[in-house]
Amino acid sequence: MKIGTPKVNQYLASSLEKFSEKGGEKVSNYVNAAGKIAVAPLVIMHNPFTNEDKDNRKWAAIKQPVEAVISIAMQIAGLSLLYKGIDSLIKKGKINFKFVEEASKDVSKIPDKIMKACSNDKDKALKMYKEQYEEIFKDRIGAVLTAATYVPVLAVSNKIYPKIADKLVNKNDNKSAK
Amino acid sequence: MTINLLNKITNSEFINKHINHTIKDDTFAAKTLVTINVAKDVFAYGTRFKTTMKNEEIPEEKRPFVASMDLMSGIVTAVLQLGVGYSLANPKIQNKIWDKLFKTCEFKDITKAKKGFSQILALIGSTILAERILVPLIATPCAEQFEKKVLHHETAKRNINNFNFVSMENFEKNITKQ
Repeated sequence: MKIGTPKVNQYLASSLEKFSEKGGEKVSNYVNAAGKIAVAPLVIMHNPFTNEDKDNRKWAAIKQPVEAVISIAMQIAGLSLLYKGIDSLIKKGKINFKFVEEASKDVSKIPDKIMKACSNDKDKALKMYKEQYEEIFKDRIGAVLTAATYVPVLAVSNKIYPKIADKLVNKNDNKSAK
Repeated sequence: MTINLLNKITNSEFINKHINHTIKDDTFAAKTLVTINVAKDVFAYGTRFKTTMKNEEIPEEKRPFVASMDLMSGIVTAVLQLGVGYSLANPKIQNKIWDKLFKTCEFKDITKAKKGFSQILALIGSTILAERILVPLIATPCAEQFEKKVLHHETAKRNINNFNFVSMENFEKNITKQ
């Protein structure tokens, strides 16, 4: 059995190559936020396995999208600045990667997988190896930054979300009372 | 100083081996992405639980359930995300889904696309399916129990400790004078 239409699948196929080139941290944050905005509140509200008070559930459900919007804004802004800074340091030659330097002197150190993908073109393979190396490095530093942003994100969200939740829950209560 | 620190990281044997392994092995890359995501989530849920319990902007009667949801979600998410993410990172499962979706699609670079696919599948599985659907379903009844059995008990104890016995004494004196 095949899943999806050929057009949609071809679009997804092209996106996969881009995702592989661009690394995971930003995409991971987008996927996380999408889940929090679109899926989590529905599951919290319509969970058949709980008898928790509906108002309490509404409060917990509203927290998810509010936090997601604040966190994605802060994380993407922070990551863009961080990646720009690292890129500029790499361009100026101020950051060096040990294994990439070794590979530039001895191409046998480039992983076979990359050599194959570049049809054994050494210059192309070294360029691809360096690019992938830098992307993964930026992702790892980016993950630390993402974790660090949770502290200000939660501080802002804790201030804003109760006000939004209070308004939304009361508004719904008034509607149902009418 | 920052450049020195970054160079220490980029020249460390551990980091270089890790990045090289990530480039060579798609399954390892996908599992690492899931593990980093789980580590960030555990940190975030822990911080959330602490800040929610102290957040006076949330009405006191709603606070224990919202905080319980944060704590239980953190515990359940770690277990489920690792389980679902690692299973979806398995090459056998990946190949089956790949064939169903992309067997007839055209790729500029199939190696890159397969790497992107393995990471995004593990990410969507662990973040959307596990964290946003399964976790709230399981965490909500757990939070309900935790709120009733642990947090309400603690709130009651704290209320007794904070009770203003001096003003109560004065109140009683005034009553006896009258």
